[in-house]
Formats: sequence, structure tokens, C-alpha cells
Amino acid sequence: MARTDHEIPKMSKELCSRLLADLEKAKRPVLYATKCSLDNSRYDAKVGYLTPGPKKVATELNVSSVKKMSRAIFMLEILLMKLETAAVHTKRELYYISKGEIKHNPHLKPLDFADQDESDEIIDFICELLECYREDLNCYANDRGGQTYAQQLIVTETLPDGDKAVIDLSKLGTTPFQPKNRPQNLKLSSKKKIDFCLIVESEGTANTLAANGFTKRNNAILMGAQGVPSNGVRGWCKLIQDQLKVPLYFFGDLDAYTVQNIFRTLKAGSAASLIRNSDFSAPDVKFLGVLPEDIKKYDLNDYPVKENDAQEVRSLKKAQDALKNDPFFHDKRNKGLSQILKWLLANKRRCEQQAYFTVAPRDPTMPEKIIVDKIKRGEYY
Amino acid sequence: MSGVGDAHPCARCAYVLPWTHTPLTLIIIIDAIALFPLSLMFFFVSIQPMASKTEKITTSSTAEYFSKNLQQVGFSSQVKAVLTTLKEAVDNALDACEEGGILPEVTVWVEKVGPGSLKNSDQIRVKVEDNGPGIEADDVPKVFGEYLASSKFGRGRCSRGQQGIGISAATTWAQLTCAVGARVITKTSKMRKALSTLVEVDIKNNKGVLREKETIDWDREHGTSVEFLIDGRIQLNGEAGLLNYLNGTTLVNPHLTLKYHLPDTEPLTVERVSMVVPEIPPATEPHPHTLKLGEFIAHSHLFGRITVNAWLKKGFSRVHEGVIKELVQAGIKKSLLEKSVDSTSEADFKQVFTGLQNLQLMAPSTKSVLSIGEDALAKSIKRLGDIDFFSVMTRKPAICDFKPVQVEVAIARLKEKSSEAETPVQVLRFANRVPLQFDKAACAIFHSIQSVNWRTYGLVQPKDSLPQGPYIIAVSVVSPFIKFKNASKETVDASDELVEEIRRALIQAGQRLSKHIRKEDKANELEEKIRHIEQFCPILVEGLCRITKAPEIRKKRAEEGLIKLLGRDARTTEKELEEAHAILEEHQEKNLEKQKNEAEVI
Ligand SMILES: Nc1ncnc2c1ncn2[C@@H]1O[C@H](COP(=O)(O)OP(=O)(O)OP(=O)(O)O)[C@@H](O)[C@H]1O
Ligand SMILES: [Mg+2]
Repeated sequence: MARTDHEIPKMSKELCSRLLADLEKAKRPVLYATKCSLDNSRYDAKVGYLTPGPKKVATELNVSSVKKMSRAIFMLEILLMKLETAAVHTKRELYYISKGEIKHNPHLKPLDFADQDESDEIIDFICELLECYREDLNCYANDRGGQTYAQQLIVTETLPDGDKAVIDLSKLGTTPFQPKNRPQNLKLSSKKKIDFCLIVESEGTANTLAANGFTKRNNAILMGAQGVPSNGVRGWCKLIQDQLKVPLYFFGDLDAYTVQNIFRTLKAGSAASLIRNSDFSAPDVKFLGVLPEDIKKYDLNDYPVKENDAQEVRSLKKAQDALKNDPFFHDKRNKGLSQILKWLLANKRRCEQQAYFTVAPRDPTMPEKIIVDKIKRGEYY
Repeated sequence: MSGVGDAHPCARCAYVLPWTHTPLTLIIIIDAIALFPLSLMFFFVSIQPMASKTEKITTSSTAEYFSKNLQQVGFSSQVKAVLTTLKEAVDNALDACEEGGILPEVTVWVEKVGPGSLKNSDQIRVKVEDNGPGIEADDVPKVFGEYLASSKFGRGRCSRGQQGIGISAATTWAQLTCAVGARVITKTSKMRKALSTLVEVDIKNNKGVLREKETIDWDREHGTSVEFLIDGRIQLNGEAGLLNYLNGTTLVNPHLTLKYHLPDTEPLTVERVSMVVPEIPPATEPHPHTLKLGEFIAHSHLFGRITVNAWLKKGFSRVHEGVIKELVQAGIKKSLLEKSVDSTSEADFKQVFTGLQNLQLMAPSTKSVLSIGEDALAKSIKRLGDIDFFSVMTRKPAICDFKPVQVEVAIARLKEKSSEAETPVQVLRFANRVPLQFDKAACAIFHSIQSVNWRTYGLVQPKDSLPQGPYIIAVSVVSPFIKFKNASKETVDASDELVEEIRRALIQAGQRLSKHIRKEDKANELEEKIRHIEQFCPILVEGLCRITKAPEIRKKRAEEGLIKLLGRDARTTEKELEEAHAILEEHQEKNLEKQKNEAEVI
């Protein structure tokens, strides 16, 4: 669950008091954080996303971890100051802010971060300790993906100063709407009934569909995911699902990586983000294609997985892993999806979303027709 | 020919120096060398032992052959020419001293005199002086001016020189590039005055010619000084550098006092650390299973008129009456065995050879090898520079490929850590105590080092490569029959058995080294932990207090508590360090005891 703005300072103070009290007694403090890994992931189709199991990782304060702990407390202090003034930053900015603090307090020199990787690691560590999202600490990543086109959608954003901004997506012309990483502040409404939301794996293909009039002809929200969905995209899809109650469809490549990683993360979250999947997954989203049966049906150009391409081989390996260990693919309601993974492993072929353009090379709206037709016939998982 | 007089032999020959060839010709030459079978080379060598005066035709072709193929024996580049000249002279000095039971004191001068006659070359003076037994006046022309004249050839001993090519090749090189041969001063203890002369090679006749011969007073009992003027280029540092050769030579010769005068460096004296002249064990005859047919036949030429039967028993190890009987049982005619070796046909030799190969023979004795010894190596390695710690390992003599070998390893960690931590360790390779400086990639020693997992012993090692860091790994292989990959003796043939034997030595040395590394790691760990406590305790507690707005009194208590807490961790490390230290001490004591016991046995 997302934390509210006063929760974080309160929890931080509690954590620090506990540490301090232990130290006064010369007792070794031990901090527990949820173990974020597949072996600690649970999946219940009724819940819809991966949830944490009982496993915890213990961090003990000892002479080896005292440096990391000192850095965490130092960074936490910076973040708390930022929260107080509602200031928002990226990880890179926080890296420079920490450098600046150290410059002004030379006795903090031993804490100095050599590079951003080191400060990023500490920020993630704080999130684990407080079991909160990075965004709860007012730390945002670069917004990536989620460019959205729609004629009926209105977004109302509550700004930090309490003002409200109202965005009518139909007024944006060819410019897409870019959702933010913290969707809690957004309110959605529609001017007219919206029939569905289509999430396209390729940013470029989403743009092509929009340019060719997809959102003019269909009462639909069209979105580009840009590969593995960022927190922004995941939270945005969840918002659309919850507030608009429209069916969501995902359209992407037919390959192990897309099914096992991109789509699974969108629908049920990931093992690495167990504690925030509840707000960052859209369990209703369906896999529209490309489906194995589409290849024959539309005579699509597919090709074999290159045995010598390390990346493709690795993703097949991961698919195998997923079938074995990922509770999401074990659930019988996702049988259609695990069937696709099995098909991919058995046939070692892949087919890209853009292959729909081969069906009628001179008709740029052909992919749109196929997509709409598939939705109508219920050809998805 | 009037006016020319007894012209310099090389003036009559159109010699083409190796690197003035067009690339195409050069390739052909290299190919020819590669094809030139070593056994045939042995054949050349074996027909001309020092004492006998044999066929002129063969000897003359020998000198001509080598003078045209000097690149094959170490003169294949400007840099290598200088190194080879120095190396041949120093190796000979050390051999001679060992032979005479003398503690060697060798002085070396290498300097640039002016521009050379070849493109991009300098004229270099190389002079080496020793306190060895000296050379009889009659032998001087043979030693410096005649190929394949050696007192060491084919004796199955672990001397540095083996072939009788080395120093004459240097004389030839000097003659070809600077038109002067070798300037030699030598005195044996029997001679009243020293002989000073200039030796040149008469290439057509493979004979040494003495010029400017005079007797002089010399300030020593006995010794030899040899000086060459050659074309070449001086390279001091790096794998092929002169310093690498000199350092390596001091390492494996603890009994050597070496003085050297090199350009751009102060003259330096490296004192001996052992007062024992290594005793070269008596020769072993070759084991029949180690020879190729060509070598087998060539070996017979050393024995003059002698029956095959007698030759087999005298000329080979592990061939005795019983073996002869087995040969006969296997179908070798008795009459063949009674023939004289010099009238035996190749076909007959082949029959005997194959017969022997098919018999089960005892492995050869290992008595013919010699070792430097862990004690002496330990002292000697300290001469290589400032070192933190080291480990040495002398393996027992072993049989590899039917040849006796003894492997020794010394590993040292240098204090002056180079700025780039990722540089590979420095490898010193030795065959019969001669440093090997070229073509390391194919060498058995190199293969063995790469095959060891050094990470186990605390070193950094990328996959399938040398370990990294400021270490020297020195490996010495001693054997009367070392198999080299080429005539210039730069790489030891990487047979599976030899690679495994060296690998074992490395692993044992690595285990010993790891005791030092572990102790050092623990010491570093402790230091870091103590630093951590000092640095982070106040910072952490201050941060906690600011966030919780805790009063000063809590801050003080918490800081004390934290220091107490972390102090416990540090003490654990301290204990571990003490343990590591104790293990190391125990190991060193045991070693010392072992050496003492061994010394007593001897
Ligand atoms: N400095 C010296 N003092 C005494 N004898 C020497 C000295 N240098 C050479 N000799 C004698 O001259 C012989 C020939 O030396 P040379 O270097 O040509 O051959 P080698 O050392 O036997 O073999 P290699 O060709 O492998 O070096 C030696 O075997 C040795 O008997
Ligand atoms: Mg020699």
C-alpha cells in the first residue's frame, strides 16, 4: 500500500528511536525487510497480483554494515527534509544533493558516495526498510512510457499546492498525454462511454495507430508501453482499470520476453516489487496478441529464435524458469498464457507485433481492423 | 687474391642478414626452420664432439648453415641479438664455474658505442668477465670460433649449455655486423700469464682463427673475459629486457655474485646468498623411450666402433642384459646385435629401435637432476626487490615422458605495488637455470600457471588467464633432457605430464602463499573495521538523534553502546588474525625444521 505523506516521517522516527534505544543498551539492532524474490511470491487469481510471502531479510548492525547503515540514516534525513517542503527529486539529483551536504559538513566525508549507483542502492535500501515506494519519498525516476491518446478521457490532477489541473486529452492533437509516476493524485473521467483500452508494447506502433485514426474511429484509450512497463505505466493502467472500469488489452510481440516479463509485470506486478504490486498492476488486462494461432490465420512472417543470440536464448531460459517457479503461470486461470510460453519453448519461433503490417501492406489501417476484430471475437487470454 | 691477403672469411660471402629479407623470403626461412627436424640438428651436433677431428665437409657445412640461420639460434632481431650475446656468455661463465667448483663472480658490461651498420641499429659492446677455471690456449679457437665444439653435448647433464653453438654464434654475429670477432682474455691456474687474443670464425671451414695473440699480465688466478662488438639495440625493461635476464639469473643462482654496468643505471653488485656451488649430478644416459629414430641413430655416433649390443647397454639407461634377451625373444637377430654400430644400416637401427619401443622398460632414475633448494631460493628471491612475502616449493624429482625432471617454484609479492592493479603477474621461466624470455604462450610453464585456480589462494585471476597483481611467479624446470620447442631454447614443450608436474608445484606454492595472503587479508580487515568504528559510530548516532530529536544524554549513551557493540566484532577479527598468524608461524617453523633435517642427511 502506498504510504501517505505523514506516514513516512512517523515511521522513520519510529525506526530511528528503536535503533537508538537498542544502541543505548549496547544491544545489536536487527532490521527486517520483506524478501523480494520469486521464491517469496504468492499469487491468487482473485487478488490478481503477486504478493509477498512470509520471508524476511534481516540486516544486522555490525562492523561491516555500519557504513551502509550510516549512509541510510544520512540519506533518510535528506529525504525527510524534502518531504517536509514537498520538494520532489530524481535519484540523480539526490546524489548531487548528498554530495553538497557532505561538502558543507566535512566530518561526514566517510559517507561520501563514489557514484550514483552507491546512492541509488541506499535509496532502495531505505524503501525496503520502510516498506514504501520510492515515490512515497518524493523520489521519482524519469517518466518513461505510457504515452496515451484518447478522445473521451479527462484527467484531473491535484497539484502539491492544492490547485487542480484539468486535462482534456482530445485537446492535445497529435501530442500524447504522459502519465506521472505517482498516479494517486490523478482523477479520471470520460466525456463519453469508453469501450476499451489498448496498450501497445511498441511506442512507435501506438503512435502509428493513433496517427492513422485509431482513436477517431474507436471509443478507446490507446497507450504505448515502451518495453517493460515503468512504475508510471503500471500505476496508470491500474488507475484506468479501477476508475473507468473498461476492459484492457495488451498487444505486443509473440516472444518469451514479452509474455513472461512485459505482460506479466503489467498484469500482476513483479517479484522485485512485491510490496507495491497492489498499486502497480492491472490484473484485468488481457493478452490480445500476437497469438500463436494468429501466425497461421493471418499468414504472418515469423522467424526462428537465433540459437547464438545470447539475449534470445536467455529469455527462453527465463520462460522455462517461469513455467517452473512463477506462481502466476502456475495458476489455472492463466493457463492460456502458460500454453503460449510452452508453445514458444517447443517451437522456438517468434513473431513481432509489426508483422500485422504484412497482411495488407497498402492498407495502413489493417492492424487496427485485426485488433478490433480480435476484441470482438474474444480472441485473447 | 693479392692485396686481400687472408681476407676475413665473411668478406667472401654474400651474407644476407635475417631482417633485411623481404617479408616473403623471411616467411620461407621461418618455415624452413620449423620444418628442420630437431633430430637432424642433433645429428649435426653429435658427429663433432670436441676431441675428435672428423670429416671436414660436414663441419664446414655446419658453420655455414648456422651463419646463414643465426635467427634460428637467437639472433632474429636487434634487441634479441644483444640479449642472446650476453646470455650465451653469462651461461657459459656459470657452467664453467660450476664445472670447476668455483663460486662464480661475474661482471657484465653492456653499452652503446655508436651507430650500427644495419638500419636502426646501434653498435653495442657486450663484455662478460668470470672467475671460472679459464680455457686452455689450444681450446680457445674451438670454444669461440667453432660450431658444435662443446664439452657438454649429449652428456645427459643439467648444464645450461648443451649444444656447442651458443658462443660461436655470437662471434659470427659480431663478425658479420662489425667485422671483428670475439676479444678474449683467459687464464687457467696452470698458465703463468694470461692469453689475450681476437677469435674469428672461419665460416667455410668451421674453424676458429686467432689474431693479435699476446700474453699479458692479468690481476687474477684464473678466469675468462670475452668481449663482443655487435649491431643491435639495447632494451633494458620488459619481458625481453636485459634486466629480466639478469634478475632471473640471480634468482636461480643463489651462489652467484653478479656485477653489472648497464646504460642509464648505476653500476650494481648483487651479492651471493649461498656459499654452496651446486653439484651437477653425474650424467644419465638417455632412456630409449624418449628418443625419436633420428636421435637414436645419431646417438650411436658418439660411441665409435662398438657393437650394437654394447652400445645399447652403455649408451642408454635402463637397458641391461635382460632387456637384450627380451629383444632377441621379440625377434631381433643376434647377429644384428653383434654388428658394429658404425656399419649398421638405417633399416637395422629401425628394427632395434622399434623392438625397444615395444618393450616395457623401467622408468629412468631421477638421480641426474639438481635443485636450487627451498632454502637458497628463499634467500635468493629477496634479491629481486622489496618483497612483502614469498613462498617457495621444491618438488621431489619426478619422471615425465620418461625423462627425469625436477620442478621448483618461487612466488613473491612485491612491495612496490604498481599503479595498475590489473596488470598480470610477472612470470619468470627457467629451463636448466637459464631464463626463457620469448614465445611464452606455447610454454609448458605458462600453460601450467594458467591452469591453476589462483583465486583459491587469494589472488585475482580473470578467467583462463594469468593471475593479477604485484607478484612474481618463478618456475624452474631442470632436466638433462629438456624438450624445447625450437633450437633457440625459448619454450619448453608442453607435454601433458610435464604441465601436470609443474601445476602440482604451483598449487603447493600457492597453498603456502595463501597463508601469508590470508594473514594479510585479516590484518587489513581488522584495520578497516577499527577505522569503520572510529569513523561511523559518531556519524550514525548523530543522525539518529537529529531525526528523533533525542537529547544529548541519549546520544552519549548510544555512542558508547555502539562502540562496545562493534568492538566485539573487531575482536573476533583480531582473533582470526592471531589464528592466521599462528598457522603461518607453524608452517614456517616446520619448513625450517625440514630443511635442517635434510641438511643433516646430506
Ligand atoms: N667462460 C668460459 N670458461 C671456461 N670454458 C668455457 C667458457 N665459455 C665456454 N667454455 C667452453 O666452451 C664450450 C663451448 O661453449 P658454447 O657456448 O659454444 O657451447 P655450450 O655452452 O656447450 O652449448 P650451447 O650452445 O648450448 O651454449 C663449452 O662447452 C665450455 O667447455
Ligand atoms: Mg654455451
